[in-house]
Amino acid sequence: MKVGFIGLGVMGAPMAGHLLRAGHDLALWARRPESAADLVAAGASLCATPAELGRRSEVVFTMVTAGPDVEGLVLGPQGLEAGLAPGAVLVDCSTIAPDTARRLAERLAGRGVAFLDAPVSGGVQGAIDASLAIMAGGEAEALERVRPLLACLGRRIVHVGPSGAGQVAKVCNQIIMVAAIEAAAEALHLAAAAGTDPARVRQALAGGSAGSRVLDVMGERMVRRDFAAGIEARLHHKDFGIALEAARRAGVPMPLAAAVGQQLNALMAQGWGRDDTASLLRVLECGRA
Amino acid sequence: MRIGFIGLGIMGRPMALNLVKAGHAVTVWARRPESRQPLLAAGAAEAGSPAEVARDSEVLISMVADAPDVAEVMLGEAGVAQGAGAGLVAVDMSTIAPAAARDIGQQLAAAGVDFLDAPVSGGEVGAIAGTLSIMVGGSAQGFATAQPAFAALGKNIVHVGASGAGQVAKAANQIVTGMGVLAVAEALAFATKNGVDGARVREALLGGFAYSKILENHGQRMLDRNFKPGFKSWMHEKDLNIVMQTAHQLGLCLPGAAATAQMFNAMVGSGLGEEDSIAVLKLLERLSGQEA
Repeated sequence: MKVGFIGLGVMGAPMAGHLLRAGHDLALWARRPESAADLVAAGASLCATPAELGRRSEVVFTMVTAGPDVEGLVLGPQGLEAGLAPGAVLVDCSTIAPDTARRLAERLAGRGVAFLDAPVSGGVQGAIDASLAIMAGGEAEALERVRPLLACLGRRIVHVGPSGAGQVAKVCNQIIMVAAIEAAAEALHLAAAAGTDPARVRQALAGGSAGSRVLDVMGERMVRRDFAAGIEARLHHKDFGIALEAARRAGVPMPLAAAVGQQLNALMAQGWGRDDTASLLRVLECGRA
Repeated sequence: MRIGFIGLGIMGRPMALNLVKAGHAVTVWARRPESRQPLLAAGAAEAGSPAEVARDSEVLISMVADAPDVAEVMLGEAGVAQGAGAGLVAVDMSTIAPAAARDIGQQLAAAGVDFLDAPVSGGEVGAIAGTLSIMVGGSAQGFATAQPAFAALGKNIVHVGASGAGQVAKAANQIVTGMGVLAVAEALAFATKNGVDGARVREALLGGFAYSKILENHGQRMLDRNFKPGFKSWMHEKDLNIVMQTAHQLGLCLPGAAATAQMFNAMVGSGLGEEDSIAVLKLLERLSGQEA
């Protein structure tokens, strides 16, 4: 299949690699062309603009940072909108606000282009292992057309509902995950402050009711004091802005998420936005200075 | 002084009337023509657009709902920038985000208009009595020019700093009042759940360090179960959202304001948005099964 991919960061690059290795005819566009060098050497072609990439693709993936980035790629000068032909499918794997996803879907529907919001969970390791959880919103028919491609990227592909539903699911995912990271950080911080070995506490908890993937993976980082990203904390900070705005629009209180959001604000203020979100432990520690 | 006034709602109408009463030549415009009537009856003149108001004014005041409304009035088609003569001072007294105020100020400066952000505190009562607190951001020269207008509207008039500083002060005000209203509601719910008379508790606290205007005024209205606005809780929610978005952008940890914002969010979501912000007491009662 003729596939386009934009956004070759820590997540996007391995995802694009899987599509290429699965035998698809892969086109790339990158703001910094050097970020595409490895994939081009492996057989992908490089386009001069998003519009050109759109013209030669049946399906285009985007994996960028935030809503304005996606809007810029689609609607900006030489954007995807100008190139995509009727019948094409645009799959946005970025994490953006549900409202932005719905707006883009409506806009592209007017040109006969299907838009799927398909954010992912599983982190860099999930992208490398092609084991991402993919939560999709949009028309079922479009999802079925791209399902063989998504199957190259992840194991669990769920059609959550119409446009925006994938992003709603991702918001829910981030609330649970980052709140769990904060809970792990508070527990391990207490363990250390109370004179116990956090590594032993974590080990003891792993088999019980408090056991979780977050405690396994992020708890391990906290114990080792390895704060190198993983997923950069600034992205979770961005996602919490989306989550709390969604809560506001729905008139739904999220007292815990709001409190965690403030710990993320403190994390940003400490200059740890490009470190791992395990740094929430360090936020608690700087309160004890 | 020739003063223009745009936005004649709960706050704007009594403010504009006070300007007329103080002897200023006031020209008004409002989106809904019927809201202009009380002002015209009092002797104000009417204009066909914000641009026309600007043409007739030395100082122009806007009092509208939110940032997009301010931008529309100031910078839109037939907006203030289109009609402004040399030396016009445009004063926005709405509560909007500091960043939005700075942005609008910059765009107006390019059109030769001196812009002040001058949000107020004191509510409808203060607007009617002409006793508002006014917190002003912008140039010292613009502040001096607008001073006669401010004098007719309020008592505590402070030039806080450069463009946006008035809105920063207002956001800070909303942190204190939002948490203050919640604190008083929690204290009274605590008293009641303990079987103690809230009125007596309020009275006992008024003499000590817990004294505040909010304990005195809002506390009394909670005891009276008078939830009529005043200041609608959806507006307080909007203002706290300005606070939380600004904190998010700056990387600033505000745990108390964040928790409070979620309470107001829940109020709007559960149908209390049109009631006074003291209806946060009702929400607390629902959560603890204390409903009257």
